[in-house]
Amino acid sequence: MSSNLQLAHRKRAATKPQAVESVAGATMKAAAGAMIVLGAIAFVVALSRGRAAIAWEAYLVNLLFFLGVAQGAVVASSSFYLTQAKWGGSTPYRLGEAFAPFLWVGFFLFFGLYFGRSLIFPWVTHPIAQKAAWLNTPFLFARDGIALGAMAVASFAFIRVSRGDGARAWTIATDEIELPPHSIRVLAPVVAVLFAAVYSLIAFDLVMSLAPVWRSTLFGWYFFAGCFWSGVTAMALTAVVLRGRLGENNLFTNPTVMHDLGKMVFAFSVFWIYLLFAQYIVIWYGDLPVETFFIVQRVHHMPWSPLSVACVVLIWLIPFTLLMSVRAKKTPVILGTVSALGLAGMWLERYVLVVPSLSLDAIPFGATQFLISIGFLGVFLLSAVPGLNRVAQAATSGEPVGDDAE
Amino acid sequence: MAAAPKAIPEPSFRDIDRSVLRVMEPAGLAYWAWIGFCFTLVAIAAGLWARQIYSGLGVTGLRQPVMWAVYITNFVFWVGIAHSGTLISAILFLFRTKWRTAVYRAAETMTIFAVATAGLFPLIHLGRVWFFYWLLPYPNERSLQPDFRSPLVWDAFAVSTYLTISALFWTMGLIPDIANAREAATGWRKKFYTVLAMGWQGTDRQWRHYSMAYLLMAGLATPLVVSVHSVVSWDFAMAQLPGWHSTIFAPYFVAGAIFSGVAMVITLLIPMRKMLGIEDLLTEWHFDNLAKVVLLTSLVVSYSYITETFMAWYAGDPIELMTFRMRYFGPWGWMFGMMVLCNCLIPLLLFSPRIRVNMIALWVISIFVNIGMWLERFVIIAGSLRVNFEPSQWGSYHPSITEIMITVGSFAWFVGLFSLFSRFLPIFSMTELKEGIVWLRKALKMDRVKAA
Amino acid sequence: MSTIAIISSFADDTRCARAIEQLREAELGDFNTFSPIPSHKIEYAIGRSKSPVRWLVLAGGISGVLTGLAITIGTTYEWGLNAGGKPLVSWPPFIVICFELMVLLGGIFGFLGVLMLSGVPTTETAPGYDGRFGGDRFGIVVRCDEAQAERVESMLKESGAEEIVREDEAQPR
Repeated sequence: MSSNLQLAHRKRAATKPQAVESVAGATMKAAAGAMIVLGAIAFVVALSRGRAAIAWEAYLVNLLFFLGVAQGAVVASSSFYLTQAKWGGSTPYRLGEAFAPFLWVGFFLFFGLYFGRSLIFPWVTHPIAQKAAWLNTPFLFARDGIALGAMAVASFAFIRVSRGDGARAWTIATDEIELPPHSIRVLAPVVAVLFAAVYSLIAFDLVMSLAPVWRSTLFGWYFFAGCFWSGVTAMALTAVVLRGRLGENNLFTNPTVMHDLGKMVFAFSVFWIYLLFAQYIVIWYGDLPVETFFIVQRVHHMPWSPLSVACVVLIWLIPFTLLMSVRAKKTPVILGTVSALGLAGMWLERYVLVVPSLSLDAIPFGATQFLISIGFLGVFLLSAVPGLNRVAQAATSGEPVGDDAE
Repeated sequence: MAAAPKAIPEPSFRDIDRSVLRVMEPAGLAYWAWIGFCFTLVAIAAGLWARQIYSGLGVTGLRQPVMWAVYITNFVFWVGIAHSGTLISAILFLFRTKWRTAVYRAAETMTIFAVATAGLFPLIHLGRVWFFYWLLPYPNERSLQPDFRSPLVWDAFAVSTYLTISALFWTMGLIPDIANAREAATGWRKKFYTVLAMGWQGTDRQWRHYSMAYLLMAGLATPLVVSVHSVVSWDFAMAQLPGWHSTIFAPYFVAGAIFSGVAMVITLLIPMRKMLGIEDLLTEWHFDNLAKVVLLTSLVVSYSYITETFMAWYAGDPIELMTFRMRYFGPWGWMFGMMVLCNCLIPLLLFSPRIRVNMIALWVISIFVNIGMWLERFVIIAGSLRVNFEPSQWGSYHPSITEIMITVGSFAWFVGLFSLFSRFLPIFSMTELKEGIVWLRKALKMDRVKAA
Repeated sequence: MSTIAIISSFADDTRCARAIEQLREAELGDFNTFSPIPSHKIEYAIGRSKSPVRWLVLAGGISGVLTGLAITIGTTYEWGLNAGGKPLVSWPPFIVICFELMVLLGGIFGFLGVLMLSGVPTTETAPGYDGRFGGDRFGIVVRCDEAQAERVESMLKESGAEEIVREDEAQPR
C-alpha cells in the first residue's frame, strides 16, 4: 500500500496532496471496455442490417442522457460556489466535476449524428419551408457544435480553477463569509448561464425539432432542469457507492453530507415535476391540436402511456415519498436505490421524449438499443475514472466540514 | 464612511436590541406628515373607487378588446412583490443562508402588505363588488358553486392561502420579538406589546415547538410561493390568446416576481438604513447578496423574453407573429423598449461588485427594475389583448384618472402601511439577528476591512 | 423540606447548555430554561424528543387534500356543466386546488398547534421569568428541595452562571 502511495506521490507535483489507489480496479475498467466494444458492435451491425433508424435513436437518447448527467454535475459544482456551499469541504465540488471528461466525448459524438441525420431529423428528408432558415443541416450542426464546444471549454476552464489550491482552501474555510477566488467568481456564473442557454438550444434542436410542428416555450428549461437533476442524482449515487468502497471515516460516512445530497435529489425532483405539470396544464387547457398531439402520443396513447407513468414514478413519486424524512435521506441504501431508480427514470424520460417522434406505433427497444446504451454507459464510466479518483482523494483527506447544525 | 479608521464593531445581543428597539421610539412630526400624505392619497383612491362602484366600470378606460389592463397589472405586480418576502424568509431559511436574518422581517412585512394590496384589485375590478364571495364555495339553496376548472377560482384559493400563510408565518416570527419589546416598553406601548406577545416567555418548551413549526411553515411556504405566482400566470396562460398562451409563463412569472420583489426590498431598505442609522445591522454584505438575487432573476427574465421571441418565430403562426411584432414595433413598442432596458440591460450593471454595494446606484437600479416589471405586466396583459385574433377587433386603451389614482393609491397604501408597521412593531428580527450574530460580526469586519 | 426555585442567568447558550447537561446527569431534572433565541445547543442538551407539531401539520395537510378533492369533485357533479370540453373530474385543475388547501390547512393546524402546545396565549408568568431573558440572557430555573440547593448552586456556578438567586417556591411572580 505505502509503495503505491509513494509512487503516486512522486508522479504528482509536490503541492498536490497524497493520491489514493484508483477507485476503478482493473476489472471495472475491463468491464467498461467490454461494454464499449459490445455497444459499438451492436451499432455497426444494426447499421449494416438495415435497422439504422433504431440504432440512431439509441445513439441520440444516450447522447442526450449522458451529456446531461455530465454537464448537470459540473453545473452543480458551479452552483455550489455561487451559493457558497461549504457543507462538505471540497468533496462535493470534486463530485460534480467527476464526470466532466464525457463533455468532450459527447462533443465529438454529437457530430456523429450527422451521419444519421436523415433518419433522426424529419426535416432533413421533408424540409419545412417556413422553418428552413433554422432547421437546416449546416446551421444546426454549426450552432449546436459551437454551443457544445463552448460549453466544454468553459466547463474545463472552470474545473481547472476549481481544482486549484485557492479554490480548495476556500471550500474548507467553513467559518468565513469571504467570497471564492476571483476567477471562480467569473467562471462559475459563466458555466451556469451558458448551461441554461446551450442546453435549451440542444433541447429545441435535438428533441423538439424531431416533431417540428410542436412547440413549448418551457421545453428548454424543463430539459436542462432534468439534466441538472440527473447530475445531482448521479452525484448522490456515486457518493453512496464510494462510501462503501473508500476507507474508514471517508467523508461520505458523515450523515450530514448524505442529508445534503438527499435534499438536492428531493428538491430538484419536485422542481422537475413542477415544470412538467406547468407544460401539461397549459397544453391541456388550451387544447390546441398543434400542441396537444405531442403529449397525447406520449401520455394518453399506447404503447407509450405506461412508460410516461413510469417516468413520473421513478423521477418524482419515489424520490418524493422515500426521501421526505430526514432519516431516509441519511440512509445510504435508500438514497442509493432512489438515485439509481431516478437515473433509470431520467433515461427513460429522454427515450420517451425522443423515440415516439421517430417510431410512434411500437417501442423499438430490443437487443440493439440495449447494447448501444450499455456501450454509452461504458464510455461514461471509463471517462469518469480520473474524476472519481479525485473525489476519493478529497473524501479521504480528512477535511473539516461546515458546521450547519440541523 | 468616516475618514479615520474606526474600530471594528462587535455587536452584542444588547446592541442588537438597542438598535432595533430604537426604531420604535415615538416618532416626530415629519413621520406623521408622511403617514398623512400616504393616507391622503389612499383616501383619494378610495373615493374614486367608491365612485366607480356607484357608476360602474365605465369610468375606467377598459373597452373591448382590452378588458384587463391597469387593475390586473397592479394585481400581478403586487402579488409579485409579495413573493420576494417569502423567498427571503422561507426559502433562504431552508437554505440556511446567512445574510437573510437582517432583512427577512422587513421583506416578510412587505409580503403581507403587498398581498393585502394585491387582493384588493380583483375586488376593484369587479363591477358588482358586493358579490365577491361568489368566488368561494359556500353552501346555498341552488347549489351554485364556483367552477373549479377556471383559473380565476384557482387564483382565489391561491392568493387567500398565500395571505393566510404569510400572515401566520409573520406572526409566529414576531411573537418572540414582541415579547422582547414588551420588556423595554412603557405606558400604552407596554400594554399593546403584552397583549400581542400573548404571554410568550421563551421557555424551552415553547422554543421546541416553535422551531419545528417554523421549519415546517418555511417548508410549506416555499412550494406555496411558487404555486401562487404560477397560478396567477395561469390566469393568462390558460387562454388561447397569442402572447398569453405560453408554457413558460409559470416559472417565468415566479422569477419575475422575485426579481421585482427583491428590487422593492432594496428600494425600501436603503432609505430606511440611512434614516434610521442602522448601518451596523444592515451591512453592505447584505445588499451585495440582495443585488445578486436581482441579477440572477434578471437573467432568468431575459432568458424568458428571448425564448418567447424565438418560439414565436419558430412556430411561424401568423397571428402569434403579428402579436409579437405589434408588441415590439407597434404603438406601444416604446413600453417594450423601456421594459427591456429596465429589466434586461440596466441590471447587468450589477455584475460589478462595486455597484452592488454603492447604495445610490443600487437604489436607482432597483427603482428602474420596478418600473420595468410593472411595464412588463402591462405589455403582456393589455398589449396582447389589444391585438387579438381578428384585426377588426383590435382596439386601444388609455387609463382613466380613476385607474391612475387607484394605482398611485395602491403604492401609497403599501408604503404607508409599511411605514406604520416599522414604527410600532420590530422591523428587524432581534431573535434571528442574535441567532446569526457570528455572521453579522464577520460581515461588519469584512466591510470595514474592505473600506480601509 | 420546602421546594425552592433557584434562578440563574447565563451570558451565552454554551454555558447554559453545559449547566443543563450537568443538571441532567445529576438527575436534578426539574427545571425550565428561558432564552432569547432558539438555541440548538440548549435543545440538544435538554434532549427531549421532537415536537409533535409535525404530526399536526401532516394531519392538516391531509385534511386539506381531502377537503380539496371533496369540494372540487362534489361541486362539479352538482350541475355537471360542460366547461370548454373539459371532463367533469379534470385532475389538473383539481390538483391545484388540493395543493393550495393542503398548504392552507397544514399551515393553520401548525400555527394553532404551536400556540396550543406552547401554552400561549397565557397571562401566567412562568416562575423565575425575568425580562432580560428575552433580551440577552439565558436563564435556568431549577426546582428542588432545600437540601439539594447547595449542590445545584455550585453546579450552576461551575458552568458559568452570572447570577444565582434563591426563591421560595411560593406563588409565581
